[in-house]
Order: sequence, then structure tokens, then C-alpha cells
Amino acid sequence: MNPEELTLNSLHHRSAQRWARRTWLRLAASASAGAAIYLLTGDTRQLRAQTTQGDLGILTAALYLEQEAVAAYQAGAESKLLSPAVLGVAVAFQSDHKYHRDGIIGVLKSLGVEPSGPERHYDFGHLKSQTDILRLARERENGAVLAYGTLASNILTKAVLGFGANVLVDEVRHRTILDAALGNPNF
Amino acid sequence: MWKDDAANSRTVSRRQALRVGGSSLVAGAVAPAALARGPKFEGDLAILNVALGLELQAIAAYDAGAGSKLLTPDQLKIAVSFQKDHKRHRDALIGFIRRFGGTPVEPKSAYNFGTITSATDIVKLAQGLEEGAEMAYLTNAGKLENREILNAAVPILEDEIRHNIVFRQLLGMDITTRLKY
Repeated sequence: MNPEELTLNSLHHRSAQRWARRTWLRLAASASAGAAIYLLTGDTRQLRAQTTQGDLGILTAALYLEQEAVAAYQAGAESKLLSPAVLGVAVAFQSDHKYHRDGIIGVLKSLGVEPSGPERHYDFGHLKSQTDILRLARERENGAVLAYGTLASNILTKAVLGFGANVLVDEVRHRTILDAALGNPNF
Repeated sequence: MWKDDAANSRTVSRRQALRVGGSSLVAGAVAPAALARGPKFEGDLAILNVALGLELQAIAAYDAGAGSKLLTPDQLKIAVSFQKDHKRHRDALIGFIRRFGGTPVEPKSAYNFGTITSATDIVKLAQGLEEGAEMAYLTNAGKLENREILNAAVPILEDEIRHNIVFRQLLGMDITTRLKY
């Protein structure tokens, strides 16, 4: 199984431990129904009602990814395995993920939803070198790029889509820099 | 350094991209009625054609860079690879524009990229164009009404970001600060 599948699977399975999986599927289905009603009838009232639910599921999953990324960079920073230059980049990237996390939390709260907190513990495996940490970070960023890229067209609220697009820009930037650091081709 | 050919009315600039993108909001407001008649997605078509203009400009810029003989073999490899991406974007955009009943813009007969005297000039030119394209796609993505077009725009945006960051790294520019739009 490749890292992308691992990341996405971990998103689905771990989220199930809280409330997300079944709710996610239900919300995704209702979002699609809302879109269908909108396309057939142009009924924006129903669209708004359904959109909020569908986008809530996406935001909840996105929040999970951001919290996991913050924890991954924290694990890397605390490992004492990073050179000062790499540590500086890791701290900057973690700061971006905190910004995303706080933005998502703000949106959820504005919609009357109490956001889930981070997991008590994340299993990132045994990190024994700077390369291990760079790979871990790269996997998380790649998973986020895939998730945001895949979910973008399911987001129906313009403001949420705009926010997601800006987050995607950061995730791709992070992945590109981590690929360069790992010697992976960027062209 | 390079100069955008602002004097030419056919030049597709970031400002123009934003302006056209803004007009698509008006089209978006009447989307349900248009859908009932069979969608043309006029706003989306306008955005797609501006994007196509940017892709054509980028392809020409990479041609100019490659033709200058100033690039190192490694830089040339990057330029060729990125130009290939832009050609793929161009073809995808042309396909969508035709499918939705629009007419794709043609490449300009000439582009003014200013005086290029070094490899750094070329990298700076490319970085500026890539960042401009990134901003244009980012600004307009949320205005697209057709979800299939939006789906296609996402990987294009991802390519532009990657290109921009590769060049920012080559130029020693900041890569840890969130880009301001």
C-alpha cells in the first residue's frame, strides 16, 4: 500500500472512532442530494440547508488532518533529530497547519458545531533520523493535498471553497519543499 | 528582468484575470435558470479563456528561455518539464472551452519578455509568470460554477504552485512564509 492510501485510510478508520465515518457518509450523501435538487430546480434554500451539512463533514475531516499534521511536526521538532535549518522549516510549516486548524475551528464554531479535539496519541512509528521525519511530514502533506484536491469539487459553500483552496496552496508548497529536501523529483 | 506587455490589448494579465473572474460572479447569480435551458457557463468560459492565455504565455516564455541557450542542462530540464505541464494544461483548457461552446483564444504572434541576458533573468521571468498563474487560478477557482471544470482546475493549480516553489528555491527566495494574495 502506498503512502497516499495509508494516509487516506488512516483518515477514514481513525475518524470512525469518533463520530465521523457514518456521519461523513450520510453528510456526503445529503450534500449530493442537495446538489442534485439545486441542479434540477435551482432551489437555493434547500441547497443552503444541505450545503452546510455536506461541508461540515468535509471540514471535520480536514480538521482531523490539520491536527494530525500539527502533531507530526511537533513529534519531529521534539525528536532532536532535525538540523537547525530543517527545524526552522518544520516550525514554519507547523505554524501554517495551526493557522489552517484555527481557521477550520472558527468556521465550525460559526456554524454552531463544537469541533473535535486532537487525538490523545498519534502513532508516527519509530523516528530515528531526520530523513524519517521528512518522509513522515511528506506523507502527511501529500495526503492532505490529495484530500483537499479530491474534496474541492464537493465543497458547495464558496467561502469554504476559498479557504480550502488557500490551504491547498500551503500543502502543495510544503510537499514540494519536502520532496526537494528528500531528493524526490519535482519536475 | 522581464516586462509584461501591458500595452497590448490582447495581453492576459493577472489584473485582467481578476476582472474577468469578478464578472463570472454575475453569471453565477443566474446559474439555475441557465442550467434549466442547458448550461453554457459563460462565466466559466471567460475564466477558462483567461487561463488559456496565461498558459500560452507560459509556453512561449519557456520557448524563449530554452532558445536563449543561457540555461544550464539542469535548468533546461526543469524548463522543458514545466513547459510540458503547461502544454497539457493548454490542451485541457481548449477541450473544455470547445465542449462548452466557446472559442479558445489563440497565442499572440509575439510576446515581450524584456531583455534576457542571463539564466537568472529567465528563472525570474518564469517564477513571476508561475506565481501570477497560481494567483489567477486561486482567485478564480471559487468562482467556477461547473464542478467538472473545477475538478480539472485543481491539479493545474497544484502544478503552478510546484513550479513557483521550485523557482523560488532556485532564486533563494523565501519559501516558508504563506504567500499573500
